[in-house]
Order: sequence, then C-alpha cells, then structure tokens
Amino acid sequence: MMKAGSNSPLKRDPALLPALLVIWAAMGVFILYPLVRLLLVAFFDDGQFTFSHIIHTFSNWYDRQALYNSLFLAVTVSLAGVCLGFIYAYAVTRLALPRAVKWLLGAITVLPLISPPFTSSIAMTLALGPNGMLIKWLGLPNFSIYGFWGTWLSEVLTLFPVAFLTLNGVLQAIDPNLEDAALSLGETKWRTFLRITCPLAVPGIANAFLLLFASSLADFATPLILAGHSFPVLPTQAYLQITGLHDLKGGAALSFVLLLPALGIYLLQRYWVGNRSYVTITGKAGARTKARGLDTCATVLILTICLLTASFILFLYSIIFVGSVVKVWGVNYGLTLDHYNYVFTRGFKAITDTLLIALTAMPIGALLGVMIGYLTTRKEFVGNRLLEFVALLNYALPGTVIGIAYIVAFNSGPIVLTGTMMIIVSAYVFRYDATGIRSTIASLKQIDQSLEEASLSLGESAFNTFRKVTLPLIIPAVSAGMKFLFIRAMTAISATIFLVSVRWTLLTTRILECMTELQFAQASAFSVILILIVFTASGLITLCFRLAYPRYDRI
Amino acid sequence: MKRVPILLLALLVIASLLLTACGGGGATQPAAKSNEAINIYTIWPEKYSSAIFAAFTKDTGVKVNFVRFSSGEALARIVAEKDNPQVDVLFGGPADTFAAGVEKSVFEPYSPKSADKIPSKFKDANNNWVGVAVNPICFMFNAKTLKEKNITAPTSWDDLLNPAFKSGLQMADARTSGTAISRILSLTSFMSEDAAYDYQKKLHQNVQMYTKSGAGGALPIATGQAIGGVFFLVDTLEIKQQGHDVVISYPKEGVAYAVEAMALIKGAKQPALAKKFLDWASTADMQKLYEANKINFIPTNPDVKVTDPALDMSKVKMFEVDIVKAGKDRQRLVDRWINQVVK
Repeated sequence: MMKAGSNSPLKRDPALLPALLVIWAAMGVFILYPLVRLLLVAFFDDGQFTFSHIIHTFSNWYDRQALYNSLFLAVTVSLAGVCLGFIYAYAVTRLALPRAVKWLLGAITVLPLISPPFTSSIAMTLALGPNGMLIKWLGLPNFSIYGFWGTWLSEVLTLFPVAFLTLNGVLQAIDPNLEDAALSLGETKWRTFLRITCPLAVPGIANAFLLLFASSLADFATPLILAGHSFPVLPTQAYLQITGLHDLKGGAALSFVLLLPALGIYLLQRYWVGNRSYVTITGKAGARTKARGLDTCATVLILTICLLTASFILFLYSIIFVGSVVKVWGVNYGLTLDHYNYVFTRGFKAITDTLLIALTAMPIGALLGVMIGYLTTRKEFVGNRLLEFVALLNYALPGTVIGIAYIVAFNSGPIVLTGTMMIIVSAYVFRYDATGIRSTIASLKQIDQSLEEASLSLGESAFNTFRKVTLPLIIPAVSAGMKFLFIRAMTAISATIFLVSVRWTLLTTRILECMTELQFAQASAFSVILILIVFTASGLITLCFRLAYPRYDRI
Repeated sequence: MKRVPILLLALLVIASLLLTACGGGGATQPAAKSNEAINIYTIWPEKYSSAIFAAFTKDTGVKVNFVRFSSGEALARIVAEKDNPQVDVLFGGPADTFAAGVEKSVFEPYSPKSADKIPSKFKDANNNWVGVAVNPICFMFNAKTLKEKNITAPTSWDDLLNPAFKSGLQMADARTSGTAISRILSLTSFMSEDAAYDYQKKLHQNVQMYTKSGAGGALPIATGQAIGGVFFLVDTLEIKQQGHDVVISYPKEGVAYAVEAMALIKGAKQPALAKKFLDWASTADMQKLYEANKINFIPTNPDVKVTDPALDMSKVKMFEVDIVKAGKDRQRLVDRWINQVVK
C-alpha cells in the first residue's frame, strides 16, 4: 500500500526515524548486547573461536535426545494449546452464553498463567501422580505422570491461556456480519465456520502458535518437576549444565541451539500468514449483528471441553488453596492461618518488591509493544522483519540463559545494573513483550489501512491518527499484552533466579525457595496471595480500558 | 495534544527506563551508612539462615542482607559476577561446591580466628573455606507403606534392591544434586567403582524418578506417593519435624557426608566486615545455635555437644571423602551415571 519514492514513509512521517532509533537503541542494549556478551563466553576460549563446548555436549546421546524431546514437546504443546485456546475464545466470543459464564471462563484461563509452574506442577502430581487423588477417586489405572505426558499436560494448561488471550482479541474483531452474509447465502453454519471464521483468524492462530512454540521450547520449570530422568529437554539440560556441573559455557552453547527452531517457526508463520488480506474491520460496515455460533452438537462439544478443562484447573487450584490453610498436608488437616502469617511477615518485602516491579514493567512494556507491533506492520522501512524477529529473541531463549546473559553483560563494563530494580524490569519487558507485540500484529492485520489513510488525508497528524483511529481498534490486543506482561512480571521464575539481589527479592523466587525447602504450605499461601493480586490487577486494567474506551467490549 | 509526535512516546519509554534506573541505581554504590551491613549469598534454607544472621546482628550490630540460592545457582552467580562481586561471603552449602569455586578462583583465602578448634578434615588446606557443619547421607521411608508391605526399615544398601520397592523410590539426579554425588561416593567408598555402577543399574529398577534437587523426593515420600529414597539427613529431619510419619535409617556398610562450608569472596566490597562474620561463625557459640533453632546439622566444632538422638552419629559408620579428588572425579562419575545407569 505504501510506496517508496517521493511519498516515502520517512518523509511523510518525520517521527518514524527517531522512533526507530530509540527502539533499536533499547533493543540493542537489552537484547542484542547481553546475547553477544554471552555468545563470546560460549564460543570463545582465550580469544579463540571454538565450537568445542557445543560439540562436547552434543556428542552426548542424552543431550541429543533432549533436543528431539524439546522439539516434539513444543510442537505437540502448541498444537493442543492453540486448539484449546481457540475453543475457549470461540465460546467466549461466538456462543450465546450468559455474561457470568463468559467472565468465569475468562477468569479460569488466567489461573494457570498466574501461579508459577512449580506450585501447579506439584498440585498436578498430587492429583495425577502415583497414589494421586483423582487417580484414586476416578479409579483410573496408575499411569506415570513423570515424563512426556505430565510435562505435556502441565504445559498445555499453563500455555493455552496465552493462545486464548491472543485469539480472543482476533475473534472479537471479526465482524459477525461476514458470517451472517455467508449464512444468508445458504452456507451451513459449519461451512461458514470453516470457510469464513477460521481463515480470518489465521493471523491470530499463527501468532499464538509461534508464542506457544517459543515458550514451550524455552520452559524449564515444568520439566524440572515433571519430566524426570526419562524425558530430558534442552532448557533443563542447559540449567543442569550450569548449576549442576558448573559449566556456564556448555550450558550457554546448549541454549543457543534453541534459536534455530524458533527462527524456523517464525519464518513458517510469516509464510503462512503471508501477504494475504485478513481485513475485517473497514469503514464500511453497518451495525454489527449478534454472533450466531455453531449448531447445537458442536456447541455442546465445545462447552463440554471448556467445562472439563475448567473443572480440572479449578481442582488443581483448590489443592493449592487447601494446602495453604491446613496445618500439614497429608498429616493434619486442621485449619490454620499460620502460613499466611508467615507470608505477610517474612515474605512481605517480596510481595511489595514484586508489585512495584510489575507495575513499572507493565506501562513501559505496553508502550514498547504497541510501538513495535504498529511500526513493523504499518510502516515500511529497512530492517522491518529483522526488528520483528529481534524483539522475539529473548522470548525464545530459556530464561535461565537470559538471566545469566544479563549478569554477564550488566555486572561490569559500560553499563552496570546488577542489584538494581531496572535489571529485573528490563529483563521482563524485553522478554515478555513478545506477547503484546504478536497480538498487536495479529489485530492490525485485520484493520483496513484505508481507515488510517482517510484520517491522514483529512489532515490529521500521524500521531493523532494512531491515537484516535488505530489505537481504539487494537485496544483488546493492547490490554491482553499488558495483562500478560503484568502476570509474567509477577510470576516469571527462570530468568529471575539469577537477577534477584539482596535488595530486590521476588515472590516467585520465594515460592521456589519454599518448595525446595519442603514448605509446601508456605509455597501454597504465597501462590494464593499472588493469584489474588493478579486478579485484582487484571480487573483494574480492564476497568481502566473500559473507562477510557467505552466501546472496548464491542470493538 | 494536537501535534505530539510519536517521538514523544518513544522518549517516554526511555525516560521511564531511566527513571527506574535512578530508582534502583543507587544500589550499586553502597551508601556511607551501609558500612554497617554485609551482603551474603546463602545456600541454607531461609529459616536457618535468618536465625544465624539475626544472632550475628545481635552480637555485633552488623546487619546482614542475604539472598538464598541452591548451591549450583549460587556458584554460577558468583562466577558470573567475578569482575564486580555483589556479595562479601558465600555461606552454607556442600564443600564440593566451594572446591569448584576454588578452581574458578572466586574466593579469598582467610583463616578465621576461632577456627583452630575445627578439625582439619573439615577445612580447606589452603584456607579457602571453613566447614561449619556436617550432613550425612541416610535412608528415608514412608512408615505406613513399609508397614503395609510388612518390611522393616532398610539397614543395608542391598536392602534397597528389594523387588517390593519396584518403581517406588525417589532420589536425586546425579547431574544436578550434591546429594546424588554423595550417594555415589558412599558406594565407591566400600566397593570398586565398577561394582558400584553394577549396583546402581540394579537399583535403577526400583527408582520411580530421579529428582532435580536433593530434597525433591522427600515430600512425595512423606505423602505416600513414593515409598522411600536416599537423602541428606537435614532434609529427612525437616520432614519428620513437620509431623510426617517417616523412618530414617542408615546402611551398615556406611555413608558419605557433606561438609557445609563458608568462604570469603575475592574482591568483596567489605572484607573487614566479612572477616568479622567468618570469625564469629567459626565459634562454638554459633554452632550452639543449631539445636535451639532446629537447624538439623551436626556441628563440626567438637566443643559443641548435641543432645538430639537423631543427630547422634556414634553408631553410624561414616566414610571420609577426599573433596578435592571427588571434585575432579565428578564429571566422569556423572557421565558414567548417565550412560550406564539411566540409559
């Protein structure tokens, strides 16, 4: 649409160049520089370039197995997670459900995102592990939860909400008028779904798939508890190499291997989404009609799936809740508030620190996410795609490695940040902004550029066009990105293990600590508090957006 | 707002980043007042550490800021922060972690004033670290499950091979955990390395899962998800003190033990205060805090008497382990474990 030449975007929009410079500077400092410093550590010995560390680790069958397992896990988790996320998003946006049920479905999907994987993995072993409660109650045959199945199930549950958040915005944006048109032309409901709704949701599906693939590939906490020795994966292996065998070089080298599949999936999703048009929001639509949904049979199926997963999630979290209020799980089920007392005395600093960091990271991340998403889809400039990919780098690497890279880079040299709040904030912003960027990109693909062009030709400035025309249309994506960043800032664990300091401690590291110190009850109490904070914050974010954009829900 | 360019948004991002930098930026420059405080990475659980550090503050007036890590994480951080150390002391954690730190030259040798009483087998020959406690390997089993199966608590390494325990044991993974290394060193102390690996291959049949952390299997055993396993004494006593019905036993052949150590960080910002801490932590008075605070370690100082029968090791056979040699053998033992036992 935008052609180079006399009408080049740089001339039309004089703010583009400075904005790009600022973004590249920020990404240079917080994404590229730490990775380069770590690459030097991993691939150089006494100034000599070497592949020896990576060759040494991959000469080991166990590490090769870990690579295959990681890929297999990432593919199966993202397939299942995107399906489940789509089903949930479809139920919320297309089925005629009471508002309360929709709200409840949305709220339940947030649960697995909130609690750090450690607590939910432990709850899962208590439910489905050897002698697990669910296994006993339902009379299921004893299967081994440790290994592929446990890790897969746990990751699907933790990650499908990411797909839900992305797809929810996208499905909301598809005008039901289009579906109505197909129906009135004599298509069946099912064919309308397959030929209208699904294809239009492709940008959302592709971006959700990319996000899930990258996070599963980089996840180390779930396999740490559930994969056991029979199902090694790369991020866990890298962590073990660093902490167990004191081999930083080998661990870092191992992690960089993960960038290849991430790049592959990124290119695949670009190819899939391609340059086809997914525009569904134009200036021409009349009043929106009510969504019609699918036929009864499919509706029942969708609702059953939602109900089953929702009850399983609720069951897991009730284990955590009960664990936090009983004296000793498995021994003494007398009620007590002692564990909360511990949380509010010994753990209070961790709570306030975490909140402060999350509240700082959220607005910065939201601004940056919208800017990068907007610039890469709407403006054409050199290095457009590169910018999009670099913004994804930190998301695709194991958090442990990002944490180590940040210490290596920011502990000495030109920029010293260790021990500060900023090192944690920037780690979160540049690692978890990927979600905000991806959902912004997915939403923008649906909006007809002629809307913005109309505004521009009427003499509005680029910024005012963005603020008055574009922003209101992508608000669901922005709010999803902000919520996700806040939640991740409250719950991320892998990167922060190496970034917390005597001055800044975090809730999740305290939870992990309680788990390793065998304090299941205290860990559960911390998790419950965390869940309450995130729910409150998430509600407040929605409220703010509703006040600022009254049509928020209907866009 | 009419002509606010997108540049302003960009500036806002940078400004807010800088603002956070200033907000926490002061942290790298210790203020004059913080001379009263030292920074410590501790490997002992938070509740043990805070009891010890609170006593130190009470005795000396010096405040302690600390973060708790697993031993591998703590060492990884200290090595990564070598050019600009963030803490003055590394406290707690098995001596083999400290030996690995010596290899990476992150410690400053120092012999604490009151460390003469501590036997030399609990200290580094070059004063790089001092041992403050001993932590032996032991067996822990779920009492109820043992009763149901009508088996008495195992008292020999061979007892762990009982087919009744098939897929019922949880213990630590050799690649991550010092507990697992001590388990292997226990075996190689009384049999040849080849025999020890043959034994482990048989033991593997009974293992449900190897956990990443040494204590990882303790809760599953306490809640009856697994039957038993091999642990450090400190973790099993913690479970027992919480009220879980578990039995702790020792093999008659003997067990290896870990020495829990502490060291001064090379390039520490406050070496004088750090030395003050190491002096204080080597005294018998410090080790007397263990029992009062339910810190389930065995003191290294012979002047400190324990009354808790669970910590009485007079009837347990303990192997002396050469920590430096064990550190050198470690990679080979782990590789062999992966290739022969897990495969």
